Amino acid sequence: MAEERKETKPKKRMTATRAAASIGPMVKEFITGTLQARAEGRQKLAYTFIVCHHEEIFRAMDVLPIWTENFAGICGAKRDAERFLQRAESLGLSRSLCTYALCGIGFDQWREELGEMPPDAPWGGQARPDFMISSGQILCDPRSKWYQASQQFMPDVPIYNIDLPYPLFEKDQDHREVRGYYHRYIVQQLRGLVAFLEEQTRKKMDYDRLEELVDLSDRTWNLIDETYRLRSAIPCPMGTGDAMNTMVPICFMMATQKAYDFFVDLKKELEEKIAKGEGEVEKEKYRLMWGGGLPAWYALNDFNYFNSKGASFPAETTYRMIASLHEMDLPETKDPIEHLAWRWLGYWTFWYDRARKRPGSEPDVERLINWIEEYKIDGIVMHEAFSCRTWHVGLIWQLHQLAKIYKPIPVYVIGKDGMKEKVYRELPSLILESDIIDITSYSEMDTRNKIDAFIETLESNRLNKAA
Amino acid sequence: MTSYAGIDIGSTMTKVVILKDGVIASIIGPTGPEQRRLANRVMEEALKKVALPFSDITYIISTGYGRINVPFSDRQFTEITCHAKGIAYLFPEARTIIDIGGQDVKGIKTDGTGKILDFVMNDKCAAGSGRFIEVIADTLGVPLGEVGELSLQSQNPAKISNICTIWAQQEVAASLAEGISIPDLLAGVHLSLADRICRMVNRLRVEKAVVVTGGGGKNKGLLRALSELLGQEILVPEEPLITGALGAALLGEEIVEKARQNHTPLETKERMLEEIEVL
Repeated sequence: MAEERKETKPKKRMTATRAAASIGPMVKEFITGTLQARAEGRQKLAYTFIVCHHEEIFRAMDVLPIWTENFAGICGAKRDAERFLQRAESLGLSRSLCTYALCGIGFDQWREELGEMPPDAPWGGQARPDFMISSGQILCDPRSKWYQASQQFMPDVPIYNIDLPYPLFEKDQDHREVRGYYHRYIVQQLRGLVAFLEEQTRKKMDYDRLEELVDLSDRTWNLIDETYRLRSAIPCPMGTGDAMNTMVPICFMMATQKAYDFFVDLKKELEEKIAKGEGEVEKEKYRLMWGGGLPAWYALNDFNYFNSKGASFPAETTYRMIASLHEMDLPETKDPIEHLAWRWLGYWTFWYDRARKRPGSEPDVERLINWIEEYKIDGIVMHEAFSCRTWHVGLIWQLHQLAKIYKPIPVYVIGKDGMKEKVYRELPSLILESDIIDITSYSEMDTRNKIDAFIETLESNRLNKAA
Repeated sequence: MTSYAGIDIGSTMTKVVILKDGVIASIIGPTGPEQRRLANRVMEEALKKVALPFSDITYIISTGYGRINVPFSDRQFTEITCHAKGIAYLFPEARTIIDIGGQDVKGIKTDGTGKILDFVMNDKCAAGSGRFIEVIADTLGVPLGEVGELSLQSQNPAKISNICTIWAQQEVAASLAEGISIPDLLAGVHLSLADRICRMVNRLRVEKAVVVTGGGGKNKGLLRALSELLGQEILVPEEPLITGALGAALLGEEIVEKARQNHTPLETKERMLEEIEVL
C-alpha cells in the first residue's frame, strides 16, 4: 500500500546557533506532552492555528493547544507527509488544496478509522482533541474549513470559530477611522472563546493569571524583536535557516516561561557571536532576505546550500514579530482581552502609515523596503508554495513594485551632504517553486540550478559594484 | 594565440564551441546517459574539426544540467549566465531571452552586456518545453524537423486546451480522429505551447528585442505563435542550439583576460581527455 511507504529521511540540516539546534527535542517534547495529557485525561486538548493571538487564553484556562499546522509541517520535514496526503486524496479532496489541511485531514481520518495512531506516526502522532478552535481570517479559508472536514471523522468533537478580521489597507483612508469597530468585534470574538472554553473545561477564567500571561507574552514579544534585530550585524550571526527552527517558540510556545528563557539564551548567544565576529557563514559574500512564502519544510537543507555559496539570510518576513510593542501604537487598556485585540490589529496594520506615504507602496512592499535597508540586503528569495494561496498571492507583484525602487541601473540619490550621488541599488530576486509539505512538487536539482544562477547574478553585481 | 572552449550539456543535446579569435568550431551531439564519456567525445570531435590539440585550450567552461559531469572543465556556470553572455555577443540589442530547451524553458532579462537582471524557469514538467512538441509530433507521425513548416499551412488553428503533455497528446489524437487537419492541430499545439511560455516570461515584463534560443528556435511555427502572442518581432541566432556553449567560451575568455589584466593567478584544472569508466 502506498500509504504504508515512507519516504527517505532527509539529511540533517546544519544550524549556525546552539539555540536552533535545541528546537527539535523541544517540539518533540510538546507533542509527547499532548499525547501524555490525552492518555491521562488531565487537561483538555484543542486543535488550533498559529498567529491568532489567543494562546494566552488557552494557557490561562489550562487548555493544551495542538498546533495542527505544526504537525503537518513535522510530517513534511520528516518527509512522511505523502501517505497522509494520499489518504485525503482518496477521500475526494484535491491535491491543490492547502496541503497542511490535507495532511491533517488524512491523518485524522486514518487515526479515527484505526482507533489508534497510524503506524509509525511522526513523533508518536497527533492526539485526538476535545474540541477544535478554528479561525476565520481574511484569505485563509482552510483555517475555518479544515476542522469542518476533520469533524466528519470526529462528530463528537465540537468546533468553535473565532473571527479575526483587520481593516484592509486603503491608500486614502486612515485605518484608525474604523479600527475601533474592528476592535470591538474582535474583543467580542475572544470573549466568546473564553465562554466556550469555560463551558468545555467547567472552569472559570482566572483573569489575574490571564493578565500575567499576556504580560509574559508581551515581554517575550519585545525580547524576540530585540534578538532578531541583532541579525543586522555584519557578518550575520543567524540566518533564516535557523529562524525556521526558532519560529517554534514564537508560534507554538508564546505565553510560556520556556519561550521567554529560550530567547534570553538566543540573544546572549547572538551577542557573543557578534562580539567574536562569527557569522552564519564563514565568509559572508551576500546578504539575502527570505522575502515571502512559507518554506518547503522537507528542503530546509537548501539554506545550507545557499550558505555554501557565501550567502547569509539576516532577515525573513515569515514567522517573526514586525516590531516591538512600543513602536506599534497600541491604545492603553487594563483589560487583557482588549489588549490582545489591540495587539492583533497593531500587528496587521503596522506598515499602513508608512505605505501610505510612499507612492506605489503597499504594506507588504513597505516591510520589504524597510528591512532591505535595515539589514543591508543584496537580494530577495521568495518561495511560491502552490498549495497556499494566503501567503503566496501577490509575491510577484511585490517584486515588481520593489523593482521600481531598486532599479537594475545606477540611479542618482541626494546624499547626506545634499549632493547628488550615483548609487547602485539593484536588487536581484529569486522565486523558488514547490510546496510547504508536498515533496512531489520539489526537485532538488532544479532548485539548486536556480540558486546557482541567482548566486551568479549576485556575484556579477558584486563585481560590478566593486569595479 | 589563446583559445577557449565552452561545453553545454543539456537534457537532450550536448554542444561544444571553440573560440580562437572568433568562433572556429561548434559541434552538437545527443546527450545520452553516459554524460561524462560523451563530453569527451564531443570535445574531441570539435578539436579534430579545427586540428587543435587539447593542450592548446587555455580555459574550458561547462554549463547546462550536466555541467558538473565534465571532468576537464575549469569552471562551471549555469546555462542562464551562459545564454545571456552568448546572446549579448550575437544580439547586443537583446533584452529578453527565451531559451526553449528539450525539457525546460527559461526566460532571461538582460541588459545587453550579458548581465542578468532577472530570470524565470519552468521545471519539473515537460509542458511548455520542446518535449511537448516531440510527443505531439510522434502522435501525429510527423518528423520533428517538419513540424514547424507544416503548421504554417494551417488556416484554422485547433484549440488545444490541455497544458499537460500527456493529456494534450490524448486531445490531439481525439481531434485527429474527428478529422481536424494535421497543420491545424500543429498550429494549435504551437499556440498552446507559446501561450504557456508567454505566461511564464511575462513575469519578467518582456522588453524588446526578444531572442529565442535553444531547440525551440528552430521551429518556425512556434516562433510565429510566440511572436503573435508577445506582439513582438522574434530574433533567432543562426544556430540557436549553441548559444549556451558560446556564452561559456566567452566567459572563459573574460576570466582569462581579467586574470591577465589584474596579474592574478588563473586556476585551471589539470586535465586530460581520457575515456572515463562509466559504471
